[in-house]
Amino acid sequence: MGSTAALKELQRDLENKANDLSKLQKDIAKNHQVRKKYTIQLGENELVLKELDLLNEDANVYKLIGPVLVKQDLAEANANVRKRIDYISAELKRLDATLQDLEEKQNSKKEAIFKVQQRIQSLQAGKGKA
Amino acid sequence: MPSKKFCQTPSTVKQYFLVRVREMASRGVGLEMEKMSVEQLRALKEQADLEFNLFQDSLNNIRTATARLEIASTALYDLSLRPQGKKMLVPLTASLYVPGTLDDSEKVLVDVGTGYFIEKTMVEGEEYCERKINLLKSNYDQLLEVAAKKKSLADETGAILQAKLKQLAPVQ
Repeated sequence: MGSTAALKELQRDLENKANDLSKLQKDIAKNHQVRKKYTIQLGENELVLKELDLLNEDANVYKLIGPVLVKQDLAEANANVRKRIDYISAELKRLDATLQDLEEKQNSKKEAIFKVQQRIQSLQAGKGKA
Repeated sequence: MPSKKFCQTPSTVKQYFLVRVREMASRGVGLEMEKMSVEQLRALKEQADLEFNLFQDSLNNIRTATARLEIASTALYDLSLRPQGKKMLVPLTASLYVPGTLDDSEKVLVDVGTGYFIEKTMVEGEEYCERKINLLKSNYDQLLEVAAKKKSLADETGAILQAKLKQLAPVQ
């Protein structure tokens, strides 16, 4: 009797851990998506910065804000793009740290699940013999 | 605006892929395929095929973008030949054109991404198109290399998988 209850509890534990694992994996997938978006934006901003660097002082730069094309100062445009690049790089670094953390949690969760599975198996084997 | 699609240029998307591929390679995807089970081999081959297909899509995107840039470049050059004041039809939407006259065609506005437009001369505009086309071409070549490697990996995995299956089969 005691072992059946223990078995049930182990199985519940297994289920919980499996749910946690799938949630972790969803988080990791989301992390990848956001990272992809940021990497693309970073690349695009770097292209823009290169173009701006090639310009003379007197060239006209316009920014599209909604439906309006607004004339911008070259220095201001440069500063804005640089700031965005810095921001995106910081975000990417943060995401990297989060991703590593999530992956570590995922691995330890997998190990824990494995251990629980082993205990269930040994318990079932024990019951079978009895 | 048709140029909106350009904002996710294939060069940037492809750069993301290259970064991921390098990451995986550096983490040492242990290629001891002889020791792997049939299941693992199958999974590896599927993954390799999937990635190869993604690379093919990217390659197609780059080809399309390069073609569009070349059209833009030709259009620019064509525009430069027209005199100022020439009558023309201006597209307001995909199906609505309005008669107008060509203003000074010496200056052009170039969409460089993230909502920035730069006023350039005709010559600079053509140079910009050149530069972008060259960038895309080099990205295309790089991606082609990576895709070829991935294809050979997929083929190798497939071959080893076949061999293993044959080994297991004739126990009848």
